[in-house]
Amino acid sequence: MELSVEALGGLQLCGDSAHVSDKAFIVLVRRVCDNLLKDSTDTSVLDDEGLSNVDRAVLKLCFASLVTLVLEAAKHDSDASTISTILEDCKFTADRIDILNKIFISKKPEIQALLSNIGHTPPHIVDVDWRLDFYLKNNHVDKVNEPVYMVTLKTEEGGQEETKDVQFACSMEQLQDLVGKLKDACKNLEKASQL
Amino acid sequence: MEEVDNIIIHTLKQIGCDLPDSIDSLKKFSTELVVAATVQCLRVIKDKFDISPNLPPGMSAKFRVGTALANACLELGYQGEIGYQTFLYSSETEIRRLLLFLIEKLPRDSAERTDEALGTSALMQRAIATEISRQLKTTWSAPYCKAKGICWRGTKPKLWHREGVIGTRAYHSCSLSVPYGVGDLTKKLHKELKQYYMKELAVITNQPPHKADLPASVLESNATSVTAAQEWENEWNSSGLGSGLSEQDYRLRKQQRLKKKITDQLRQGIQKSEATVAAAATTDLMQTLNTFTDKSASKTKGSRFMHAEKLQFTEDDAKTAVQMGIGEGAPKLDTEEDLQQKREKEVECLREALQGLTSQIEAMEIDMRKYTANTQQMEELILVMDRSVSDKENSYKVMKRTLDLLPDADANIAKLQSVVDSSAQRLVSLANQWEKHRAPLIEQYRQLKELNEGKVSESQKKLEEIKSFREKMKIVADETRSKEDLHKQLISEYERMTKGVNRSAYTRRILEIVSNIKKQKDDIDK
Repeated sequence: MELSVEALGGLQLCGDSAHVSDKAFIVLVRRVCDNLLKDSTDTSVLDDEGLSNVDRAVLKLCFASLVTLVLEAAKHDSDASTISTILEDCKFTADRIDILNKIFISKKPEIQALLSNIGHTPPHIVDVDWRLDFYLKNNHVDKVNEPVYMVTLKTEEGGQEETKDVQFACSMEQLQDLVGKLKDACKNLEKASQL
Repeated sequence: MEEVDNIIIHTLKQIGCDLPDSIDSLKKFSTELVVAATVQCLRVIKDKFDISPNLPPGMSAKFRVGTALANACLELGYQGEIGYQTFLYSSETEIRRLLLFLIEKLPRDSAERTDEALGTSALMQRAIATEISRQLKTTWSAPYCKAKGICWRGTKPKLWHREGVIGTRAYHSCSLSVPYGVGDLTKKLHKELKQYYMKELAVITNQPPHKADLPASVLESNATSVTAAQEWENEWNSSGLGSGLSEQDYRLRKQQRLKKKITDQLRQGIQKSEATVAAAATTDLMQTLNTFTDKSASKTKGSRFMHAEKLQFTEDDAKTAVQMGIGEGAPKLDTEEDLQQKREKEVECLREALQGLTSQIEAMEIDMRKYTANTQQMEELILVMDRSVSDKENSYKVMKRTLDLLPDADANIAKLQSVVDSSAQRLVSLANQWEKHRAPLIEQYRQLKELNEGKVSESQKKLEEIKSFREKMKIVADETRSKEDLHKQLISEYERMTKGVNRSAYTRRILEIVSNIKKQKDDIDK
């Protein structure tokens, strides 16, 4: 995990009790995680009472560098020891390192889940409706007698709450082919899990 | 002996023997398998061992392979009886002894090396595999039971996996700005900048237009900054240090270079565009001129035509007024032709006059040139004359003085001699003085030069040292990093290790050996 010079500078400020008091530090770290995870932006860090005695510019810088640290650490799935080494380089006291690690490790899964939201994925199938029709005859042929499957796949897409429909009709062979492919995929997944 | 067989088979599989799973003891080893296993062992022990692990079909060839293998084993120091028959007509005990011997001869670190080669990618694959198997084991849940497509399982540790894509958002980042340099009290921040940082600048969580873009933006700004620093480091190491400039100077110079390049490019571009514009303009001009000329031509034509028409009409009118009945076409044609002829004649006359005048002017110009050339020549001549006059005057003066001096020649010669002597002495003394001054100065110059060279070489040495130190630093840092990774990997490996079968087999074997030895000791003691 590598952090930019700006972020490291901000962390050094943050570890300095002359700029950020111990109490304010706890509040600040909490706010970092909360602000990342909560959708609402109505309460700003700047309005927090616990942080009122911190210089505004310093507060903004500390906040930004802590956000960077937390996101990078979550991205690299860093454990407490890795973070500790970085923070020790930034002259954090052992107490502060403990506080940050405790809060971060408890929130890490949520932050990682948040990071997993970034990206573009193909539509995801969540449900399926189907109907089996029996095709008897048409004006040219008197006896067709074939089953026709009408399949509707319900898919999810990124950023949309409603599911979308993907409709298709297929013959029995085609459906069997599809099922075979899906089974293959399942088998491959199982194989991949047994490495 | 089952444990021993287990160990042998396990080890053989580890070094890459393709043993079927059904084989669990040496009893089931066929001749082919024995040869293949031996060849594999020998290949691992010796680097250059090229006997095919597949047994050839011919009897004589089989015999040759067997003998070669036996010789190779003897070379390694195998004590027991060995020959082609050991491989071709194998007995279980012999094979066991041989394979045990070979396995003991295997290089120890080969196993470790394969572990190292696994590296992070293997770890990653393993992690992926465990994650997939974990997710396969979880039960299905309906999409509306999930928070934004993420399933949460367990409380401690809290586990999650993504099922569905509702919450996802394409990677989109925007640039973030943070107050820079506020903590450094030694550097004075600009007042307005400080004011801006204090009051106006938004907290970074509020900077992206969409809240969901915040993580992407933060990660990107960090990554860009880190890569920029790395690039700078590389450049500084490769070309910056050698230039002997300070960091700031180097940056300044680079900036200037870039600026110059940019201005050059811009200038070239402008020139090019100007050229094209100018070309276009001239063509435009030509076109407009052409249109003008066309217009004027048509106008004049028109006017001429109209003029002619007017004339015609007036004449017509006059004629119709004076005498009716005479054909109208003939006089009209006559007058037009006449006019044309007249006009042509006039033009001819004028042209001739013009030609005469221009030739006259030309002749005049030529004359003028001739005259100016003449005047110049004359002036030069005057200068030359003046010079010769002054020369002659000088020579005359010298002559006159010598003539004046001639009557008292001896005394004058003596005087002259004395003057010459004194001036020579002065010259010598001056030369001496000069030498006196010169010697210490040259000495000083040499000393300074040497000093300077020493300094240059010293600084170069220092530069080299710095470079080597930096390289060392990097190497050491890389090493520590890789060692740390290896350490972590080994720890996880160790945790993953199945400590059951293999280890217990070994310990049992050891215990057996120990008890055997005890028995033997007891027997000996009896």
